[in-house]
Amino acid sequence: MKDIKRRIKSVGSTRQITKAMELVSSSKLRKAKLRAEQARPYFNELYKSMCEIASANTDFSTVFTVKRPIKHRLFIVVAGDRGLAGGYNSNVLKMAVAAHENDAEKPKIIAIGKKAGEYFEKRDYEIVASYENIAENIKPNQAQDIADIAINMFRSGEIDEVVVFFTMFVSSIAQEAQQMSVLPMETHKLENYGTMTYDPSPEAVFNRIVPRFAASLIQCAVVESYASEQGARRTAMENATDNADAMTESLSLLYNRARQASITTEIIDIVSGASAQS
Amino acid sequence: MTPFKLQIITPEKTFFDGETDQIIVRTTVGDVGILNGHEPYCAALGIGQLRVRINGEFRRAATSGGIIKVSKEKTVILAQTCEWADEIDLNRAEAAKSTAEERMKSAKGDNELRMAEAKLRRALNRIDTASFLK
Repeated sequence: MKDIKRRIKSVGSTRQITKAMELVSSSKLRKAKLRAEQARPYFNELYKSMCEIASANTDFSTVFTVKRPIKHRLFIVVAGDRGLAGGYNSNVLKMAVAAHENDAEKPKIIAIGKKAGEYFEKRDYEIVASYENIAENIKPNQAQDIADIAINMFRSGEIDEVVVFFTMFVSSIAQEAQQMSVLPMETHKLENYGTMTYDPSPEAVFNRIVPRFAASLIQCAVVESYASEQGARRTAMENATDNADAMTESLSLLYNRARQASITTEIIDIVSGASAQS
Repeated sequence: MTPFKLQIITPEKTFFDGETDQIIVRTTVGDVGILNGHEPYCAALGIGQLRVRINGEFRRAATSGGIIKVSKEKTVILAQTCEWADEIDLNRAEAAKSTAEERMKSAKGDNELRMAEAKLRRALNRIDTASFLK
Protein backbone atom coordinates (compact mmCIF):
# COMPACT_ATOMS: atom_id res chain seq x y z
CA MET A 1 0.00 0.00 0.00
CA LYS A 2 2.88 2.30 0.78
CA ASP A 3 4.42 1.44 -2.58
CA ILE A 4 1.30 2.43 -4.44
CA LYS A 5 1.10 5.68 -2.56
CA ARG A 6 4.68 6.46 -3.48
CA ARG A 7 4.04 5.69 -7.12
CA ILE A 8 0.99 7.93 -7.24
CA LYS A 9 3.11 10.72 -5.88
CA SER A 10 5.91 10.23 -8.39
CA VAL A 11 3.52 9.98 -11.33
CA GLY A 12 1.87 13.16 -10.09
CA SER A 13 5.13 15.11 -10.04
CA THR A 14 6.08 13.79 -13.48
CA ARG A 15 2.73 14.95 -14.72
CA GLN A 16 3.45 18.41 -13.36
CA ILE A 17 6.67 18.54 -15.36
CA THR A 18 5.15 17.31 -18.58
CA LYS A 19 2.24 19.69 -18.20
CA ALA A 20 4.63 22.60 -17.69
CA MET A 21 6.66 21.58 -20.74
CA GLU A 22 3.49 21.33 -22.76
CA LEU A 23 2.53 24.86 -21.84
CA VAL A 24 6.00 26.22 -22.58
CA SER A 25 6.01 24.52 -25.97
CA SER A 26 2.58 25.88 -26.79
CA SER A 27 3.67 29.45 -26.27
CA LYS A 28 6.97 28.92 -28.09
CA LEU A 29 5.09 27.22 -30.88
CA ARG A 30 2.91 30.25 -31.41
CA LYS A 31 5.95 32.50 -31.81
CA ALA A 32 7.80 30.00 -34.00
CA LYS A 33 4.81 29.55 -36.26
CA LEU A 34 4.66 33.27 -36.86
CA ARG A 35 8.34 33.39 -37.70
CA ALA A 36 8.02 30.53 -40.12
CA GLU A 37 5.16 32.24 -41.87
CA GLN A 38 7.01 35.54 -42.08
CA ALA A 39 10.07 33.91 -43.59
CA ARG A 40 8.16 32.45 -46.52
CA PRO A 41 7.46 35.51 -48.73
CA TYR A 42 11.16 36.34 -49.00
CA PHE A 43 12.04 32.80 -49.95
CA ASN A 44 9.22 32.53 -52.50
CA GLU A 45 10.05 35.84 -54.16
CA LEU A 46 13.72 34.96 -54.42
CA TYR A 47 12.95 31.59 -55.92
CA LYS A 48 10.58 33.17 -58.41
CA SER A 49 13.20 35.70 -59.45
CA MET A 50 15.73 32.98 -60.07
CA CYS A 51 13.29 30.97 -62.14
CA GLU A 52 12.50 34.08 -64.14
CA ILE A 53 16.13 34.65 -64.95
CA ALA A 54 16.64 31.02 -65.88
CA SER A 55 13.50 30.97 -68.03
CA ALA A 56 14.29 34.18 -69.88
CA ASN A 57 17.83 33.12 -70.66
CA THR A 58 17.73 29.58 -71.98
CA ASP A 59 21.36 29.42 -73.00
CA PHE A 60 22.84 30.62 -69.79
CA SER A 61 24.70 28.51 -67.30
CA THR A 62 26.76 29.28 -64.24
CA VAL A 63 28.86 27.31 -61.79
CA PHE A 64 25.78 26.92 -59.64
CA THR A 65 23.55 25.24 -62.21
CA VAL A 66 26.00 22.81 -63.83
CA LYS A 67 25.46 19.24 -62.71
CA ARG A 68 28.70 17.41 -62.07
CA PRO A 69 29.02 13.69 -61.47
CA ILE A 70 28.32 13.35 -57.77
CA LYS A 71 31.26 12.04 -55.78
CA HIS A 72 31.20 13.99 -52.57
CA ARG A 73 28.13 15.30 -50.88
CA LEU A 74 27.45 17.76 -48.11
CA PHE A 75 24.43 17.29 -45.87
CA ILE A 76 23.10 20.16 -43.84
CA VAL A 77 21.01 18.54 -41.13
CA VAL A 78 18.67 20.56 -38.94
CA ALA A 79 17.58 18.91 -35.69
CA GLY A 80 16.77 20.14 -32.21
CA ASP A 81 18.98 21.13 -29.30
CA ARG A 82 16.91 19.09 -26.87
CA GLY A 83 15.15 15.78 -26.75
CA LEU A 84 11.71 14.89 -25.42
CA ALA A 85 10.01 15.87 -28.63
CA GLY A 86 8.59 12.57 -29.80
CA GLY A 87 10.06 11.41 -33.08
CA TYR A 88 11.18 14.86 -34.14
CA ASN A 89 14.93 14.35 -33.90
CA SER A 90 15.09 10.71 -34.89
CA ASN A 91 12.89 11.16 -37.96
CA VAL A 92 15.07 13.75 -39.61
CA LEU A 93 18.33 12.04 -38.59
CA LYS A 94 17.14 8.69 -39.89
CA MET A 95 16.16 10.30 -43.15
CA ALA A 96 19.63 11.79 -43.59
CA VAL A 97 21.23 8.41 -42.91
CA ALA A 98 18.89 6.59 -45.29
CA ALA A 99 19.62 9.12 -48.03
CA HIS A 100 23.26 8.10 -48.39
CA GLU A 101 22.86 4.35 -47.95
CA ASN A 102 23.92 3.61 -51.51
CA ASP A 103 26.81 6.06 -51.59
CA ALA A 104 30.39 4.91 -51.75
CA GLU A 105 31.42 7.29 -49.01
CA LYS A 106 29.81 9.07 -46.11
CA PRO A 107 28.74 12.63 -46.76
CA LYS A 108 30.26 15.61 -45.01
CA ILE A 109 27.98 17.15 -42.43
CA ILE A 110 26.98 20.59 -41.27
CA ALA A 111 24.99 19.99 -38.11
CA ILE A 112 22.47 22.51 -36.85
CA GLY A 113 21.19 21.64 -33.39
CA LYS A 114 22.95 19.81 -30.59
CA LYS A 115 21.19 16.53 -31.25
CA ALA A 116 22.36 16.46 -34.87
CA GLY A 117 25.95 17.25 -33.85
CA GLU A 118 26.05 14.51 -31.22
CA TYR A 119 24.46 11.95 -33.52
CA PHE A 120 26.92 12.36 -36.38
CA GLU A 121 29.93 12.76 -34.18
CA LYS A 122 29.22 9.44 -32.52
CA ARG A 123 29.04 7.77 -35.91
CA ASP A 124 32.32 9.15 -37.23
CA TYR A 125 31.09 11.46 -39.92
CA GLU A 126 33.26 14.30 -41.10
CA ILE A 127 31.67 17.35 -39.53
CA VAL A 128 32.45 20.59 -41.32
CA ALA A 129 30.67 22.81 -38.86
CA SER A 130 28.30 22.38 -35.96
CA TYR A 131 25.93 24.90 -34.46
CA GLU A 132 24.06 24.78 -31.18
CA ASN A 133 21.32 26.92 -29.71
CA ILE A 134 20.81 29.07 -32.79
CA ALA A 135 17.45 27.73 -33.95
CA GLU A 136 15.24 29.77 -31.67
CA ASN A 137 16.60 33.10 -32.84
CA ILE A 138 18.47 32.60 -36.08
CA LYS A 139 19.53 35.83 -37.78
CA PRO A 140 19.84 36.24 -41.55
CA ASN A 141 23.57 36.86 -41.19
CA GLN A 142 24.06 33.58 -39.35
CA ALA A 143 22.19 31.74 -42.07
CA GLN A 144 24.41 33.50 -44.59
CA ASP A 145 27.56 32.33 -42.81
CA ILE A 146 26.37 28.74 -42.97
CA ALA A 147 25.40 29.11 -46.63
CA ASP A 148 28.78 30.65 -47.47
CA ILE A 149 30.61 27.64 -46.09
CA ALA A 150 28.58 25.34 -48.32
CA ILE A 151 28.91 27.59 -51.37
CA ASN A 152 32.67 27.93 -51.05
CA MET A 153 33.06 24.17 -50.76
CA PHE A 154 30.84 23.69 -53.79
CA ARG A 155 32.69 26.26 -55.84
CA SER A 156 36.10 24.83 -55.05
CA GLY A 157 34.97 21.38 -56.18
CA GLU A 158 35.34 19.86 -52.73
CA ILE A 159 31.73 18.75 -52.90
CA ASP A 160 29.36 18.21 -55.82
CA GLU A 161 26.01 18.44 -54.12
CA VAL A 162 24.46 20.13 -51.11
CA VAL A 163 21.31 18.75 -49.54
CA VAL A 164 19.37 20.17 -46.60
CA PHE A 165 17.43 17.90 -44.23
CA PHE A 166 14.81 19.56 -42.10
CA THR A 167 11.31 19.13 -40.72
CA MET A 168 8.48 20.84 -42.51
CA PHE A 169 5.83 22.34 -40.30
CA VAL A 170 2.58 21.13 -41.83
CA SER A 171 0.37 21.88 -38.84
CA SER A 172 0.58 21.92 -35.07
CA ILE A 173 0.03 18.19 -34.95
CA ALA A 174 1.70 17.10 -38.18
CA GLN A 175 5.39 17.59 -39.02
CA GLU A 176 7.22 15.95 -41.83
CA ALA A 177 10.93 15.31 -42.29
CA GLN A 178 12.06 16.47 -45.72
CA GLN A 179 15.12 16.78 -47.88
CA MET A 180 15.81 19.53 -50.34
CA SER A 181 18.68 19.92 -52.72
CA VAL A 182 20.34 23.35 -52.62
CA LEU A 183 23.22 23.06 -55.05
CA PRO A 184 23.45 22.56 -57.95
CA MET A 185 20.57 24.94 -58.34
CA GLU A 186 17.40 23.63 -59.86
CA THR A 187 15.02 26.06 -61.46
CA HIS A 188 11.81 25.28 -63.21
CA LYS A 189 10.65 26.98 -66.37
CA LEU A 190 7.95 29.58 -65.99
CA GLU A 191 5.34 29.87 -68.69
CA ASN A 192 4.88 33.59 -68.67
CA TYR A 193 7.54 35.93 -67.55
CA GLY A 194 8.01 39.56 -68.51
CA THR A 195 11.01 40.90 -70.30
CA MET A 196 13.36 42.51 -67.88
CA THR A 197 16.51 44.50 -67.97
CA TYR A 198 19.16 42.94 -65.83
CA ASP A 199 21.83 45.20 -64.48
CA PRO A 200 24.65 44.48 -65.26
CA SER A 201 23.75 41.06 -66.75
CA PRO A 202 21.41 38.15 -66.01
CA GLU A 203 24.33 35.92 -65.04
CA ALA A 204 25.76 38.50 -62.67
CA VAL A 205 22.41 39.02 -60.97
CA PHE A 206 21.81 35.29 -60.80
CA ASN A 207 25.19 34.59 -59.25
CA ARG A 208 24.51 37.29 -56.71
CA ILE A 209 21.17 35.79 -55.81
CA VAL A 210 22.37 32.21 -55.34
CA PRO A 211 24.16 32.83 -52.02
CA ARG A 212 21.14 34.80 -50.78
CA PHE A 213 18.86 32.04 -51.86
CA ALA A 214 20.93 29.38 -50.13
CA ALA A 215 20.93 31.46 -46.96
CA SER A 216 17.21 32.00 -47.20
CA LEU A 217 16.63 28.29 -47.68
CA ILE A 218 18.67 27.52 -44.59
CA GLN A 219 16.85 30.21 -42.64
CA CYS A 220 13.51 28.79 -43.70
CA ALA A 221 14.62 25.23 -42.95
CA VAL A 222 15.70 26.27 -39.47
CA VAL A 223 12.57 28.23 -38.55
CA GLU A 224 10.31 25.52 -40.00
CA SER A 225 12.21 22.89 -38.04
CA TYR A 226 12.03 24.92 -34.88
CA ALA A 227 8.28 25.31 -35.19
CA SER A 228 8.05 21.57 -35.86
CA GLU A 229 10.15 20.82 -32.81
CA GLN A 230 7.83 22.82 -30.59
CA GLY A 231 4.78 21.21 -32.19
CA ALA A 232 6.24 17.73 -31.76
CA ARG A 233 7.19 18.42 -28.17
CA ARG A 234 3.80 19.79 -27.35
CA THR A 235 2.08 16.71 -28.74
CA ALA A 236 4.52 14.40 -26.96
CA MET A 237 4.04 16.18 -23.67
CA GLU A 238 0.30 16.28 -24.09
CA ASN A 239 0.31 12.51 -24.52
CA ALA A 240 2.61 12.11 -21.54
CA THR A 241 0.28 14.21 -19.41
CA ASP A 242 -2.71 12.16 -20.52
CA ASN A 243 -0.83 8.96 -19.74
CA ALA A 244 0.07 10.27 -16.33
CA ASP A 245 -3.59 11.06 -15.68
CA ALA A 246 -4.66 7.57 -16.73
CA MET A 247 -1.96 6.05 -14.56
CA THR A 248 -2.92 8.08 -11.51
CA GLU A 249 -6.49 7.00 -11.98
CA SER A 250 -5.74 3.28 -12.15
CA LEU A 251 -3.24 3.56 -9.33
CA SER A 252 -5.71 5.30 -7.03
CA LEU A 253 -8.24 2.60 -7.86
CA LEU A 254 -5.67 0.02 -6.88
CA TYR A 255 -4.82 1.97 -3.77
CA ASN A 256 -8.43 2.26 -2.67
CA ARG A 257 -8.98 -1.42 -3.24
CA ALA A 258 -5.93 -2.32 -1.19
CA ARG A 259 -7.04 0.02 1.56
CA GLN A 260 -10.54 -1.49 1.53
CA ALA A 261 -9.07 -4.97 1.65
CA SER A 262 -6.91 -4.16 4.65
CA ILE A 263 -9.86 -2.62 6.49
CA THR A 264 -11.96 -5.67 5.75
CA THR A 265 -9.30 -7.99 7.11
CA GLU A 266 -9.02 -5.92 10.23
CA ILE A 267 -12.79 -6.03 10.82
CA ILE A 268 -12.80 -9.77 10.27
CA ASP A 269 -9.98 -10.10 12.77
CA ILE A 270 -11.86 -8.09 15.38
CA VAL A 271 -15.17 -9.79 14.79
CA SER A 272 -13.72 -13.28 14.85
CA GLY A 273 -11.72 -12.37 17.95
CA ALA A 274 -14.86 -11.12 19.70
CA SER A 275 -16.97 -14.12 18.74
CA ALA A 276 -14.29 -16.48 20.02
CA GLN A 277 -14.46 -14.89 23.45
CA SER A 278 -18.21 -15.02 23.86
CA MET B 1 5.00 62.77 -58.55
CA THR B 2 2.83 59.75 -59.06
CA PRO B 3 3.24 57.27 -56.26
CA PHE B 4 3.79 53.58 -56.88
CA LYS B 5 3.65 50.40 -54.84
CA LEU B 6 6.73 49.30 -52.97
CA GLN B 7 7.36 46.17 -50.95
CA ILE B 8 10.48 45.58 -48.90
CA ILE B 9 10.80 42.00 -47.76
CA THR B 10 13.51 40.61 -45.49
CA PRO B 11 14.07 36.99 -44.43
CA GLU B 12 12.44 37.81 -41.11
CA LYS B 13 9.38 39.75 -42.14
CA THR B 14 7.71 42.04 -44.63
CA PHE B 15 9.51 45.21 -43.69
CA PHE B 16 7.55 47.74 -45.70
CA ASP B 17 4.43 47.53 -47.82
CA GLY B 18 3.01 50.78 -49.11
CA GLU B 19 3.26 53.64 -51.56
CA THR B 20 6.25 55.78 -52.40
CA ASP B 21 7.05 58.62 -54.81
CA GLN B 22 10.64 57.72 -55.48
CA ILE B 23 13.33 55.38 -54.26
CA ILE B 24 17.08 55.52 -54.58
CA VAL B 25 18.82 52.25 -54.02
CA ARG B 26 22.44 51.09 -53.93
CA THR B 27 22.99 48.28 -56.43
CA THR B 28 26.21 46.47 -57.25
CA VAL B 29 26.75 48.88 -60.14
CA GLY B 30 25.90 52.11 -58.29
CA ASP B 31 22.98 54.14 -57.02
CA VAL B 32 19.80 53.74 -59.05
CA GLY B 33 16.73 55.95 -58.79
CA ILE B 34 13.29 54.51 -59.48
CA LEU B 35 10.24 56.58 -60.31
CA ASN B 36 6.74 55.52 -61.26
CA GLY B 37 6.59 53.91 -64.70
CA HIS B 38 10.15 52.63 -64.66
CA GLU B 39 10.85 49.86 -67.16
CA PRO B 40 11.01 46.30 -65.79
CA TYR B 41 14.37 46.16 -64.14
CA CYS B 42 16.27 43.78 -61.91
CA ALA B 43 19.58 44.23 -60.15
CA ALA B 44 21.47 42.88 -57.18
CA LEU B 45 21.88 45.13 -54.16
CA GLY B 46 25.15 46.03 -52.55
CA ILE B 47 25.77 47.13 -49.00
CA GLY B 48 24.53 50.68 -48.79
CA GLN B 49 21.67 53.05 -48.17
CA LEU B 50 18.18 52.88 -49.43
CA ARG B 51 16.19 56.08 -49.65
CA VAL B 52 12.43 55.91 -49.84
CA ARG B 53 10.46 59.08 -50.50
CA ILE B 54 7.10 59.18 -48.77
CA ASN B 55 5.01 62.37 -48.95
CA GLY B 56 7.93 64.40 -50.23
CA GLU B 57 10.31 63.30 -47.52
CA PHE B 58 13.11 60.78 -47.80
CA ARG B 59 13.44 58.05 -45.23
CA ARG B 60 16.80 56.38 -45.04
CA ALA B 61 17.49 52.75 -44.36
CA ALA B 62 20.61 50.61 -44.25
CA THR B 63 20.48 47.50 -46.42
CA SER B 64 22.95 44.74 -47.07
CA GLY B 65 22.59 42.59 -50.12
CA GLY B 66 19.57 41.27 -51.92
CA ILE B 67 17.83 42.23 -55.13
CA ILE B 68 15.46 44.84 -56.46
CA LYS B 69 12.83 43.91 -58.98
CA VAL B 70 10.79 46.55 -60.73
CA SER B 71 7.73 45.39 -62.60
CA LYS B 72 4.68 47.18 -63.93
CA GLU B 73 2.50 46.47 -60.89
CA LYS B 74 4.99 47.04 -58.12
CA THR B 75 8.58 47.27 -57.01
CA VAL B 76 9.91 44.58 -54.74
CA ILE B 77 13.11 44.88 -52.74
CA LEU B 78 14.35 41.64 -51.25
CA ALA B 79 16.94 42.63 -48.70
CA GLN B 80 19.06 40.41 -46.54
CA THR B 81 18.78 43.02 -43.81
CA CYS B 82 16.98 46.35 -43.75
CA GLU B 83 16.74 48.88 -40.92
CA TRP B 84 15.39 52.41 -40.84
CA ALA B 85 18.04 54.92 -39.88
CA ASP B 86 16.16 55.92 -36.72
CA GLU B 87 15.88 52.31 -35.60
CA ILE B 88 19.57 51.53 -35.79
CA ASP B 89 21.20 50.90 -32.46
CA LEU B 90 24.43 52.88 -32.74
CA ASN B 91 26.06 51.20 -29.76
CA ARG B 92 25.44 47.79 -31.22
CA ALA B 93 26.75 48.87 -34.61
CA GLU B 94 29.92 50.23 -33.01
CA ALA B 95 30.36 46.99 -31.11
CA ALA B 96 29.90 45.00 -34.30
CA LYS B 97 32.49 47.22 -35.95
CA SER B 98 35.15 46.54 -33.32
CA THR B 99 34.51 42.77 -33.30
CA ALA B 100 34.80 42.77 -37.08
CA GLU B 101 38.09 44.66 -36.91
CA GLU B 102 39.46 42.24 -34.36
CA ARG B 103 38.39 39.28 -36.43
CA MET B 104 40.09 40.73 -39.47
CA LYS B 105 43.36 40.93 -37.56
CA SER B 106 43.14 37.36 -36.30
CA ALA B 107 41.65 35.89 -39.49
CA LYS B 108 43.21 32.73 -40.83
CA GLY B 109 42.80 32.21 -44.55
CA ASP B 110 40.93 34.11 -47.22
CA ASN B 111 37.49 32.95 -46.23
CA GLU B 112 37.62 34.20 -42.69
CA LEU B 113 39.08 37.47 -43.87
CA ARG B 114 36.33 37.93 -46.43
CA MET B 115 33.63 37.18 -43.86
CA ALA B 116 35.14 39.61 -41.36
CA GLU B 117 35.47 42.27 -44.03
CA ALA B 118 31.83 41.91 -45.03
CA LYS B 119 30.83 42.21 -41.39
CA LEU B 120 32.88 45.38 -41.07
CA ARG B 121 31.33 46.87 -44.20
CA ARG B 122 27.84 46.15 -42.87
CA ALA B 123 28.66 47.74 -39.53
CA LEU B 124 30.16 50.83 -41.15
CA ASN B 125 27.13 51.18 -43.41
CA ARG B 126 24.81 51.08 -40.41
CA ILE B 127 26.86 53.68 -38.57
CA ASP B 128 26.89 55.93 -41.66
CA THR B 129 23.17 55.61 -42.16
CA ALA B 130 22.36 56.31 -38.54
CA SER B 131 24.64 59.33 -38.32
CA PHE B 132 22.81 60.98 -41.23
CA LEU B 133 20.08 61.83 -38.77
CA LYS B 134 22.23 64.20 -36.77
